[in-house]
Amino acid sequence: MRRVLDVARIQTINPFLTIGLPLVVLGLVLLLNLATFAVIGGPSDGDRTTGALLALYVMMGIAPLQTMTQLFPFALGLGVTRRTFYAATALVVVAQSAVYGLVIVIASQVEASTGGWGLGLRFFGLPFLPQGNIAAQWLAVTVPMVVLASIGVFVGVVFKRWGQLGVYGATIGGAALLTGLALLVTGLDGWPAVGGFLASQPPLALLAGYPLLIALLFGGTGWLVLRRATA
Amino acid sequence: MSLVRMSGVTKRYGDVHALDGASFGLAENRIHGLLGRNGAGKTTAMQVLTGQVLETSGTVEVFGESPYENARVLNRVCFVKESQRYPDAFRVEHALRAAELLHQNWDAAFAAELVADFGLPRRRRIKKLSRGMLSALGLIIGLASRAPLTFFDEPYLGLDAVARQMFYDRLLADYAEHPRTILLSTHLIDEVSDLVEHVVLIDRGRILIDEDADALRGAAVTVTGPAAAVEAFAAGHTELHREQLAGFLRVTVAGAGEPPDGLGLEAEPVSLQQLVVRTTQHSNRTNGQPATAGARGGEH
Repeated sequence: MRRVLDVARIQTINPFLTIGLPLVVLGLVLLLNLATFAVIGGPSDGDRTTGALLALYVMMGIAPLQTMTQLFPFALGLGVTRRTFYAATALVVVAQSAVYGLVIVIASQVEASTGGWGLGLRFFGLPFLPQGNIAAQWLAVTVPMVVLASIGVFVGVVFKRWGQLGVYGATIGGAALLTGLALLVTGLDGWPAVGGFLASQPPLALLAGYPLLIALLFGGTGWLVLRRATA
Repeated sequence: MSLVRMSGVTKRYGDVHALDGASFGLAENRIHGLLGRNGAGKTTAMQVLTGQVLETSGTVEVFGESPYENARVLNRVCFVKESQRYPDAFRVEHALRAAELLHQNWDAAFAAELVADFGLPRRRRIKKLSRGMLSALGLIIGLASRAPLTFFDEPYLGLDAVARQMFYDRLLADYAEHPRTILLSTHLIDEVSDLVEHVVLIDRGRILIDEDADALRGAAVTVTGPAAAVEAFAAGHTELHREQLAGFLRVTVAGAGEPPDGLGLEAEPVSLQQLVVRTTQHSNRTNGQPATAGARGGEH
């Protein structure tokens, strides 16, 4: 366990770059949004929803990919097992998402109580997120971040094991699988049933429950691929 | 006693045998040289011993256990490669700190001394280091980690002769104070011939020599003289090399000892480098392979 923590420390050895920079970027994007809407002016009817928060999620997908392609070979040479490295990666990804999730929840509280930063902006408190329950909100913003990170890890692992061709193959294979499923549903005339199922699920299950399963699927498959990967 | 042992190890990549039934051992607290041509299997051997690559067949034991995904073994291992990649965002100090976190014997003061000796800028991004500085960083990590089992795989591309000598001197001095098991692969055989205590020669995945350096010093002799006398001396021994000029013959033979006086034969010792070259060529001839085959990649 100590070694997992040590490897986690190495993954965040430059805390400004690994943890701080995404928040700085997010802050700048927020400022940009505020400036834009301040310039536009006009009535703020509280429906100025932006998707700029997505930037943070994209960064959370890319960072672990680089961890796998760049840091993994170095760590292996220093006598770290794949298992330890993967556990440390999972730890960092989950902890980082949890912290960012907390930042988003707190910021959305501030946003709500200041009337959208005085401009009616909805930057953090997006309308489809569960309202009221803070813990549910936190889960709903944190788990999707873990999902993106797990996809990033998975792509990085596939690249380590099979190179660029492997990544192409996995992408094409994934797209083919999804297309096949969609065709299957269409063929069975199943879209109303799918829609009905999704509508019947509580929002937390859709935003956190099923995404968690997806993250576990990518994480678990990634581990199977990594076990035979070479530095 | 063997601290590290591989027996009959084969590693196949498609139809290429990077290792082909290779067997050799590393004794505790000695400096071993792993010699061989480009593509001979040196890096693969090290990757197998450090659990980075899984052997196709055969057995590998490091500290008495299989190294693959074995934290008890790998905690005591440091592997420095010529082609070592570092994260883009890392500065020199980050790499040193990472190595410190992972090696319990790490000596920070020694590392600082080495950084000063090699003139490495601590704050510089590793991406921006020159080829020589990049190699120096690997050497520093390998030395200061004081890992009980340290692998150096062609660690000094781009380093000048003075820096290389500094590495040899530092390695020897530190090894004397903190004995450990070291495996060093290199093309610069002459440079390390006084450094290594044991020699493993690998060619096309097979081990040709696994012998103490002292024993190798007298293992072969080059004899020059009248053809008939040289032929008589060389008969029955393994002939590694032969050059003929008019009536004179010059032959390198293994296991023949020194020629007796009075036959008009002149004997010269065979350097480790010559021995390695001749043994490799001899092996390639007897295996029906031209001596120039197998050369690929840049020699350095």
